[in-house]
Amino acid sequence: MLRLGIKSLLAHKVRFALTASTIVIGVAFVVASFVTADSLRSGFDQLAEDINTGTDYTVRGELPFGEITEATAPAVPAELVDDIAAVDGVEIAKGGLFVDGVIPVDGNGEAVTTFGPPVAGTNWLEDESLSQFYLMEGRWPVGGGEFAIDITTFEDDGYDFELGGTYQIVTPTGPREFTLTGAAQFGFPENAGVGAIFSLFDTATAQEVLGFPGEFTVISVRAEAGADIAELQTRIEAVLPDGVEVITAADSEEEFSDATETFIGPFQTILLVFAFIVLFVSMFIISNTFNIVLGQRVRELSLLRAVGATPQQVRRSVLTESAIIGIVASVAGLGLGMLGALGIKSLFNALGASLPEGSLPLTLRTVLWAVAVGVGFTVLASLVPAIKASRISPVAGLSEGTTSEERASLGWKRLVSGGVLLVVGLVLTGLGLFGDFDGATPQLSTLGAGAAITFVAVSVLSPLVARSVVSLLARPLQWIMPISGRLARANAARNPRRTSATAVALTIGLALVTMVSIVGQSLKVSFGDRLASAVNADFIVSVNTQAGLPKTLSSDIRAAGIGTPVGFDFDLVQIDSSGADVQATVVQSTLTAASVSDLDAVVDIGVTEGTLDGFDPQTGLLIHSNVAGDEGLALGDEVDLTFVSGDRRTVTVTAIFDGSAFWSNWIIDSALYEQVATTAFDDIVLVRSDIDDPEAARAAIDEVMTGYPQAVLEDRQEFQESVESSLNTVLVLVNVFLGFALLIALIGIVSTLTLSVFERIREIGLLRAVGMTRRQMRRMIRWEAAAVSLYGAVVGVVLGGAFGMATVAAIPDDIIDTVSIPAAQLVLFLVISVAFGLIAALFPAFRASRMNVLDAIADE
Amino acid sequence: MSVAAPPTHAAARAVAATKIYGSGDTAVRALDAIDVTFEQGQFTAIMGPSGSGKSTLMHCMAGLDRVTEGQVLIGETDLSTLSERDLTLLRRDNVGFVFQAFNLVPTLTAIENIMLPMDLAGTAGDSDWVDEVVGATGLADRLKHRPSELSGGQQQRVAVARALAGKPQVIFADEPTGNVDLNTGAEILGFMRNAVDEMGQTIVMVTHDAVSASYADRVVFLVDGQIVDELADPTPERIRAHMNQLGA
Ligand SMILES: Nc1ncnc2c1ncn2[C@@H]1O[C@H](COP(=O)(O)OP(=O)(O)O)[C@@H](O)[C@H]1O
Ligand SMILES: [Mg+2]
Repeated sequence: MLRLGIKSLLAHKVRFALTASTIVIGVAFVVASFVTADSLRSGFDQLAEDINTGTDYTVRGELPFGEITEATAPAVPAELVDDIAAVDGVEIAKGGLFVDGVIPVDGNGEAVTTFGPPVAGTNWLEDESLSQFYLMEGRWPVGGGEFAIDITTFEDDGYDFELGGTYQIVTPTGPREFTLTGAAQFGFPENAGVGAIFSLFDTATAQEVLGFPGEFTVISVRAEAGADIAELQTRIEAVLPDGVEVITAADSEEEFSDATETFIGPFQTILLVFAFIVLFVSMFIISNTFNIVLGQRVRELSLLRAVGATPQQVRRSVLTESAIIGIVASVAGLGLGMLGALGIKSLFNALGASLPEGSLPLTLRTVLWAVAVGVGFTVLASLVPAIKASRISPVAGLSEGTTSEERASLGWKRLVSGGVLLVVGLVLTGLGLFGDFDGATPQLSTLGAGAAITFVAVSVLSPLVARSVVSLLARPLQWIMPISGRLARANAARNPRRTSATAVALTIGLALVTMVSIVGQSLKVSFGDRLASAVNADFIVSVNTQAGLPKTLSSDIRAAGIGTPVGFDFDLVQIDSSGADVQATVVQSTLTAASVSDLDAVVDIGVTEGTLDGFDPQTGLLIHSNVAGDEGLALGDEVDLTFVSGDRRTVTVTAIFDGSAFWSNWIIDSALYEQVATTAFDDIVLVRSDIDDPEAARAAIDEVMTGYPQAVLEDRQEFQESVESSLNTVLVLVNVFLGFALLIALIGIVSTLTLSVFERIREIGLLRAVGMTRRQMRRMIRWEAAAVSLYGAVVGVVLGGAFGMATVAAIPDDIIDTVSIPAAQLVLFLVISVAFGLIAALFPAFRASRMNVLDAIADE
Repeated sequence: MSVAAPPTHAAARAVAATKIYGSGDTAVRALDAIDVTFEQGQFTAIMGPSGSGKSTLMHCMAGLDRVTEGQVLIGETDLSTLSERDLTLLRRDNVGFVFQAFNLVPTLTAIENIMLPMDLAGTAGDSDWVDEVVGATGLADRLKHRPSELSGGQQQRVAVARALAGKPQVIFADEPTGNVDLNTGAEILGFMRNAVDEMGQTIVMVTHDAVSASYADRVVFLVDGQIVDELADPTPERIRAHMNQLGA
């Protein structure tokens, strides 16, 4: 039976190559996901090791709650360095500063920025192995007027920096001028900064300009040779005050790789999700191909049965065939996946995210996954065709006629099983959207399973309606092209099962694309509405870097007499409302700090209870009505806030609001927050201008902003457009990945159509014999494909529309409160699908038109 | 006296038509310098042993295939001068063809199949003529049926009607009754005879069967790609006698 499987494969090389290519793409996706993620992991692990070389301990402020990746830890007093150095067994201890958001401006006035990695200010240390900065050019900066820059930026042709030149640096204490004295490399031997940009100062200057007089953000410690690391750690701990911790280099490395895992993990997961979508879609294509090929082999199979093959043997031969395809596809997918990983890496690097150098590690785990999904999905897809084949009776081949497919029963069994699947799928989807879950993984798994089952249900039910729907959709064809159109329409509708199976791949792809675009559009409209109704500001100043805008910006705008600027700072806070209510809890949430007295000038938060008048900046708290409900809080209730600095304050609810835009559910005054903040940056600044002429106002703000080249000034319209355009970028990226599912659908149409043309060879010969021109023939086949595609697309858009609206309903109102359907876009999807069909049919149509008339007629 | 025009009453002609399949040692001379003329309004039967080149002659005459040497003319048109596209258009507009089986497009109804060549041409055809042809099939009540809902004989009658509907210069039929029982065969042959007598059509038909051939006005005998004999006003007995002579 193995030999039979191989023989059959060889006999149908082309169609199986086509089929296998869909699995190859899916496996390649899986491999690329793992390899890219593993490569990032090993790169960052190496980096963590490099950074910690020469350092045995790190001493730093302890976060009272939350993760070090979510908030900036408080600084530690400078005197602590001497205390630690004095501990027996410590060789050296040095204080360091590392502050994100310190932006150098080059000779052309261009701010140095990145796509995510920090743009940081730091101090250099004489002990290079402790600081990991190695001087490569010039000399170290000394005193308040000098700085050095990292060698990558120094050597970057895109920026203009020269030793001895004077450059502006935007620091948390405002813009300042420094002379460049040197360039240093971070890490050894590689420049291990992962795309981070550094400005280096001497320690005293760093403390001053970075806003940490008398403090350090971190103290690096090296033990004497042969010291007991664990024992020395406890002795260092002993000299530390409360709120300061010491961690070993091993801890740091682990923390670092945990931190990097917070983006590598999701990155890998997202790629894998797309990989599984591709594989899932491929399954339908493969199943369809097997069905058609086996249908064509009815005679052969029944002969086998007649000469004594058992049903089990027939089944096994089909499954063997699919397993071989799976293995071949997995191997090819491994190769393609490695190439894909290479591609992804260079894409990232081209986008400016300099990922750490590293090989592309192909682990055993990756190989096993590749083979498992490659073989697994192929065999799974051939299961139903295999069972069907084994049921072919030994005399089936004797009764000549159309293929078994065309006589497919479309009875109540299909209706019932499809209906049951649909209900299960929809219930799971609904549960995934609206149910309560602890954690995103079970929720997304439920959602994914629900969607997958729904798609299977649709594919089971689709043949019941395919004939009439396709006929309806394709009706216009025969008005445009009388005979080719009529034949195309009839051909598309003649075999509802095959049409459905071919269309379902496109259905899935389009359902996902449609869903994403509805959610995206609704998000845009909700955001736009909210911006229009809740924001009164004339201008919005935002920033592309992680760190934010120095708080000095808003005071500078105020000082220039332009109007009322309000800076918003978002940070993590721990809220304890147990004083107010018995059922109250301790929650961690995002806190917004802004000048409450000026709030009205720039936003309307929608106060429903209490008032902003007479707000006490030191003790007042504004809360959203949602959290008031959740936490059982009312006006006048007292709440304890713990900030990331470890400071605690008790505040009183003075107003409840129900508006939501970019601010969070908890708002305090910036005057209070300044006393406890660990950074001196706003995330966004809104400006209500007093200057009537918008152009003049813009010019005045621009003037102030010359000191802050990282800042971006936009009016409301521009701001909305730029938010929309960054959302669009995400949507485009998602659609590019979903495009792979559409590619699979395309391959599916090509393969089914090629098989169908082959099956209808006599009919094609007949049409040519009675005078159909090659052109008419090609047109007929192209439009048949278009009709099938349109059917798949229409079902997909309808299904995706339903999914999209359900998703929008499931997303909290403060994120999306309006359903908006991008009708023009959906129509475009349908048009594109028709085009897809036309393109997919090019090859089969060509083949059909070139078919020798006599060969076709002679075919038995 | 003017120059004598060539006889214009030939619907189709072959002049030294030769068809060679393959090349070298394996070459097969399926048609060997055949000269034959099919007069307008005549019903001709072609007979001969299996492999004698009957189908090849039909295909080459109908423009489904090309001769290797010599000429084939439909009316005054020399097929060897036509491009692939023009040959297709000639088949559509000037030639009818009936195969042994599988003559109809399964997705089209009987009437749609009959109208197929005209629909392909984008013309309405001669509707009186089409009505006459359809009437002659005796299938007026089955026109909306698909081929799968028609009997084998009915299907072949539809096929003949399709061949007739476009008023072609000549119709070629390759064993049109080969796949049906005797009674049904008689029905189809009667229909073809009728088309020649009443509608003035020209039909060339291949058959194995002497009774079938006796419906024709003339029988042409083919052996090894050459015309070896002819018989006018045939009867089954005379045909059998000729065949026995040839078969010997
Ligand atoms: N496509 C072809 N390739 C090679 N030889 C062919 C082909 N078609 C027919 N022949 C050969 O040409 C000869 C005539 O065949 P055909 O016209 O089919 O005979 P008939 O219809 O009288 O049985 C036979 O020897 C046959 O084997
Ligand atoms: Mg023959």
